[in-house]
Order: sequence, then structure tokens, then C-alpha cells
Amino acid sequence: MPPKKLPSLHGVKMPTIWPTKSSEKSIGLLLKKLKQKEATKSRANLAEDEGLDWLKPRALIKPDDQEEVSEADLEEEVGRVLCTVNPQWVPDEVAYHYGRAMFVAKPKPTYGKAYPLYIYQGTAIRKDSDEAKAQIAAGYGMVGFDDAGPKRAKVKKSAADEEEEEEPEAEPAAAAEEAKPEEDAVVEEEKPTEVEVPAEPTEVGVEGDETVAAEGGEEAEPEQKEEPVDDGSDEVLDIKPRVKKLANQFNFCERAALTYNFPRRSVDTQTVPPPRANYGATALQCIIFDFYQEDYAKKLKEKEEEKPKRLRKKAAKHAKSAQQIHDEQLAQRIREAWAILERLVNQNIYDDIAQDYRYWDDPSDEFREGMGSLLPLWKFQFDPMRTHAVCDIQWNPHYQDLFAVAYGSLDFTNQQKEGCLCMYSIKNPAYPEYAVITESPIICLDVYHEIPYLVCVGRYDGNVCVYNAQLTLESSYQYKSDSVKDKHSNIVWEVRWGARLIDGEASFFSISGDGRVVQWAVMPGELQATTIITLSSNVPPIPGPDGTMITINSCGSCICFHPEKADIFLVGTEDGMVHTCSLKYNKNYVRSVQGHHMPVYRIHYNHYNNSIYASCSGDWRVKIWEDGRDEPLFMFELGSPVGDVKWAPYSSTVFAACTADGKVYVYDLNVNKYRPICIQAVVSKKTKKLTRLDFNTRLPVIVCGDTKGTCHVLKLSPNLRVMCKPPKKAQGVDQRTLQIMKLDKLLSLVRDPPFTPGVVDEKFEED
Amino acid sequence: MAEEGAAAPGGATEKVIHTYPLIRHSDMSEEMRVEAMELSVTACEKFSQNNELAARMVKESMDKKFGPAFHVVVGESYGFEITYECTTICYMYFGGNQAICIWKCS
Repeated sequence: MPPKKLPSLHGVKMPTIWPTKSSEKSIGLLLKKLKQKEATKSRANLAEDEGLDWLKPRALIKPDDQEEVSEADLEEEVGRVLCTVNPQWVPDEVAYHYGRAMFVAKPKPTYGKAYPLYIYQGTAIRKDSDEAKAQIAAGYGMVGFDDAGPKRAKVKKSAADEEEEEEPEAEPAAAAEEAKPEEDAVVEEEKPTEVEVPAEPTEVGVEGDETVAAEGGEEAEPEQKEEPVDDGSDEVLDIKPRVKKLANQFNFCERAALTYNFPRRSVDTQTVPPPRANYGATALQCIIFDFYQEDYAKKLKEKEEEKPKRLRKKAAKHAKSAQQIHDEQLAQRIREAWAILERLVNQNIYDDIAQDYRYWDDPSDEFREGMGSLLPLWKFQFDPMRTHAVCDIQWNPHYQDLFAVAYGSLDFTNQQKEGCLCMYSIKNPAYPEYAVITESPIICLDVYHEIPYLVCVGRYDGNVCVYNAQLTLESSYQYKSDSVKDKHSNIVWEVRWGARLIDGEASFFSISGDGRVVQWAVMPGELQATTIITLSSNVPPIPGPDGTMITINSCGSCICFHPEKADIFLVGTEDGMVHTCSLKYNKNYVRSVQGHHMPVYRIHYNHYNNSIYASCSGDWRVKIWEDGRDEPLFMFELGSPVGDVKWAPYSSTVFAACTADGKVYVYDLNVNKYRPICIQAVVSKKTKKLTRLDFNTRLPVIVCGDTKGTCHVLKLSPNLRVMCKPPKKAQGVDQRTLQIMKLDKLLSLVRDPPFTPGVVDEKFEED
Repeated sequence: MAEEGAAAPGGATEKVIHTYPLIRHSDMSEEMRVEAMELSVTACEKFSQNNELAARMVKESMDKKFGPAFHVVVGESYGFEITYECTTICYMYFGGNQAICIWKCS
């Protein structure tokens, strides 16, 4: 194969290195090996690959003009001869000199004289130098030798053979380049050629100008180097020398590891800015003042509206147009006219009764010594309440013709669903002046003596209410106890107005079957309850269903306040006890008396002597007591449960009682200490019972109610209302003193043991 | 001033001296408003002669309680036009002659 042509400069032939026999031989070996490999392959796979023979023809194609070389020739060692004379040199070679514009003979290259064009201090150190020895001893340069060395040598050999044919000068260059320390021999062998290479360019440089030579040398050398590098690198790729390089100041490698750098990303979000708004105003004294005024007016208005909700609602309801107001006023006037007309009619109808009431006095009284009678006058009935019983009845303290009636029911097995509070005037017996139907039967009532249109009532369901008779009927009640919080848990048996509280609120007391006495303060818009006393009984606690002991309260049935000592009151219970209590003690009784054997229905203080009181009971008896005495002064048996007993307001010794058999008994102790001076059957005892009665404070009439809802007004005959005649010695003494004297005289007769002041008097005299 | 004129002949309204705080405009929450009101009252009573100190006290207290950047104006006559963060304004009168404006804007 012809040597590869190198680009020449100015037609100058570049030096070539002729291949030696040894390289040729190595190529031959290589080929042979290849052939063998092919053959074994085909033989081994003959069976399988037979069908594929046509695809891969095995025959090696040889060029026709290939020289037949015998095996012996191939084996023959051919020495390489190097000579100092360049056989390529042409002695008469000329070159055109541009500077002189003529051809000049090229000067003969000088041998042995080298022109260093570039000096580079090598980094290699001599193997047998101290430094190298030290390094080898440390393990450098020797490690990879054993395993890499032979293999490399082999390949190197074959590569060298190839080069011999293709590129004669490549091998020395490559060898020089690699500078393998282990192949000392080769390096040394080839050193002469190596020397030759730099020598040739100088030859060129010397022929021409110095600059030209420099140029040529400079340019030629890198080109020369390029090729061996290319070829050598091919080989180097094949066999990576794993030899640890000798360490010196230039030959080192740095080992380091770098972690993977994650790519950075920026992630951000922005919140929605908080919403904003604009506001502007001007602060000036006048503006501030105006605003305060406005607010103040509003507050005043609110304050007014703070009045009880019910009232406000009512007010709202009553907020009517002018037309409506006019209509109402008109209606009111018409109503008044009708009321007058009604009274006129009634007066005509009941004219005879009115006459009797006014002028008729039973003439028989004159002949019946001390005995009297009752003249029935009007009967009052309210149609919806025909089946109800009159549970309480009371004359109005202010209007002498007016009395209030509580309709309820005393038949506890067949209790009525509703009750009624009525006010009748004896001027109009046909229809009540005021009537309000309540959702629960009314058991008791009391008219407030300070404000005669206020009536407090106690109801069957345990509630207490205050009714204002001045309000229209739709308002029904003005105050009502809270049904959830503080109502009684049993029938309210009696209510009584008490003294005003410290703050000026009116208050009333109620006694109920649940054994409590409660004081109700009439606050604006509400009733405020205070339990005054819980009536304990002497019955020992009984075991309850779950083992707890239940204390039994005695059921209160009536209450009566001391006319003068506002904190003393008497309580009658259903087991017949009469307890004297004080507002100051909420547990203990001041005094306790077994007054009766059945429920006490009424206790009433004498109007003239505060230590005398009467009581009546279901055990048919009426008893007259004196404070501090365990035994009654008088005891009367009436033969039937006594519903009510009242002292006459006009006499200190007269009292009246009504019984369940429909009779009214009137006693005058001054006349007869043992028998009534009048027994009057008012209703049929088969169908009706008398429940309550009341003396009119000014007129000589009493009113009593029965169980069928009828109120009977009876006139007291003259014998029943005998006034005291002042003795001749003490003319001009007023009636009251006389009455007190009369009673005292009577009492002195009755008292067996000498008089001792009552317990109450003793205890509270100093108060 | 018409109102004042109307109020004056009304009777004794002139003599009434109002000492209570009166909210003129506020969109604060109930809790915050009450707090602001109480603070203003306290501050104005404490520094009745020094509006600056009163304002500072209210501002600092409000900052502590509801986060920073509150602004407080205390004065007897001024005008303002502000931008505030919603639900943080309270404009009120106190003592019959002082106007206090509290708002937050950061």
C-alpha cells in the first residue's frame, strides 16, 4: 500500500518513514487470526447456518494482484535499517524565490544541527531517579502493569503491524506520544526516528529564508503530530491503561463529587389584599351637639317604651287613627247612655226590692226579743257562670254598692275549665259591671283598699293575678305570676293585700295547698315572688318511692293578717291547725293551736279588738279565739260545714257564718252567747250550698254566694244591727269605744282564768 | 343648627351635658367596637387636657389588641377623608364635644 500523501508546502516533499518488515508481519498475523475466527465460527454453526449461507458469503475476497506470500516468508523476521542519509533527498532541487524572483538551489539539509523552534520543559522524570523510585515504592506507576501490560503489548504489536502498511510514521509518533514507561525498549529503539522528525523541518527552514523555515517548521509539525494523535487515540480507546500515573506537580487528578443540584423554581402566591373603603366626615362642635341631641331624644323615647311589653303592645294595639278614636269615643258615650238606660230599666223592674232595701225593716223584730231575720233582696247571676260556685266574694272597700265575685269550682272531682271574675253593682242586678273569664277557676280574691279597681286573685292552677278593672276586658289581667318560675304548685286558697314594700310597690300574700305563703311584689310589668313561710307539719317525713324521705308540708287553707301588726298573720291549714306566724320567721310559728279537726276555711279578726278572732271549719264549728289562749272563748256547732265567718263591721259582738246546708247564721254575743240570733235558710240545702259571705262595710246588707253561681244580697233586720246606747254617765262617747267596751265586758265574763296578755302581744309589744 | 334651634326652645335640653360615648359610624365587630369605645373613654378621661396623649394611648392599646397600624384622631373640630380596612373604622363622639376617629390601614 502506498504511503499516505501528506499535504506539502511549496511542493516540498514531506519526509516519510518507511515501514519495517516486522510491522508487515504483524499485519499478516492479524489477518490470519481473523480468518481462523471466521472459520471456527462457520464450522461451529454449520448445521444451523446452512440455510443462511446465501446471506453471508464466507469466501474472503482477495484482490487479484495480491502477491502470494509463502508461510515461510511471512514468518521471516525483517530487520529495519535506518540510515543517516535521506534517500529521498534530491540534490538538485530548486525552489522559486519570490524575493529574488528567481529559482535557487535548495540548500542541502544540515544534519546533526537542530534548531529549536519551541522549547517545552517535559514533565516526565527519569524512572531511576530518586523521586521516581520513591513514587514507585509508594505504588505509583506499577499497579496496572501486570494486568494491563501484556494485553497492551499484544495489541500494540498488531497495531504496529497495521501502521507499517498504512502509515509508517504513525507508530513512532504514537509511541512517543504515549511515552509508556514500561516499553522502555521500544522507546529507546525508536528514539532515532523521533530525533529525525524534528530534524526534517529544519531542513526545510534552512533551505529558504529563516522566516520561511520557521513558518514551515511551525506548520508542518502540528500537522505531523495530528495524524499520529488520531490513529493513536483509536488505539488508546481500545486499551485503557489502568496504570496509576506517577504523581508529580503536573500530573495529578482531583477527585471530587458534586451532588445533583436541583433546579430552582420560584413559587409564590399573592393574597387578595384586605378590602378597603373610604370614609370621610367632619367633626364640628355643632355636628356633635346635634347628634347628641338626637340620640338623647331617642333615648328618652326608648325609656318611655321600656314600660311593660304587654302594655306597650296594648298601646300599639290602641294606636288608632283619628277616625277610630272618634268612633270609640262615640261608642263609649253610647255605652254610657246604654248603661244609664239599663239602670233605669232595672230600677223599674226591681223597684219593689229597692224600696224594701231602703225602707223595709222587719216589724216582727220588735216582738221577737233579740232575734232578727234576713231579708233576701237581689240575686246576682252571670249566665256563663251558672254551673260555677262562688268561691269568694267581697264588697268593694270604696264603692259601697259594688262587690267582687270569684267564680270557680269547689267540686274537685268535676273541676271546671274556666273561671270568672265579676263585679256587680247592686244598682244593676241583671248584669255584672265587670266580668272577665279566666282560663282557670278563681278560688279567692282580694280588692286592694288603696286602689279599689285592683283585684288580686288566686287561681285553681296555682297562679295569682292582679286584675285592673279599669282596663278594657281584652287586656284581661295586668299582672300574672310566672307559670313556670314561681307559681304555686297547688290551689291558691286565699290572697290578701299587704302593706306596701319599702320601695313603695304594692304587695300581696297568697297561701296555697302546697304549704307556702308567698309574698308577691307588684313590680312594673311583673310579679316578684318571695316565699314567706313554708308550713311544716308535725307529720314525720315519709319514705318516697326512691328511698328519699319526703317531708310533708301542711296545706294552708286560709290566711288572715293582724289588723295592726302588719307582720303577724294567722294561717289555717287543712289539718285544722291555726298557726300564728310572723313575716320575720320563715320556718317557725310564733304559736300553733289545734283549732279544728277539719280544714279551716276562714279566720277573721274582730274589727274592734285585735286579739279576738273567729275561725270556721269543715268540722261544723265556729270558734272565737283570743290571742294567747289555747282554748277558744266560744264554740258554736252549726250542724254543717261552715264555709265562712265574718265579724260585722258595725258591731264588736256580731258575726255571721254561712253553712253548706244553705243557711246563714248571725250571732250577737252580747245578746246570746250560745245561740244565734238569726238562722236564715237562703238556698235550698238539697241543691245548693252557701260558700262565702261578706258584710257590707256601710250598708246593712250582707252578700253570700252559693255553689250555683248565685250571689244573694240580704238585708239585716234591725235586731241584727243593734248599736250600743251610751250609758247615761258617759254621754258623747263615740260608738267605737262603746263597742270595745261592750266586747271587753263580755270577754271578762267569759274568761275563766284571769286575763293574761296574748303571746303575740308579749312578743311584739316592743316592736 | 336647625335642630339645635328647635331643641333649645324645647325646654331644659340645653342644660343636659352628655358624658357618654356615642358611635357615629362604625363597621367594627361588636367586641372590637366595645373595646374601642371603652379605650376611648378611658383615654379621654385620663388625658382630658391632652388630645395627643389620649390618641396615642388609644392607638397603642388598639395596636396591641388588634394588630398594628391603627390610626386615631382625637379632636374637637376637624375634617377627614380616610381609607380604612373594612371592619376597622369607628367614628364616635365623646363627652359632648370630642370626636374620636379610630381606623386601621396598613
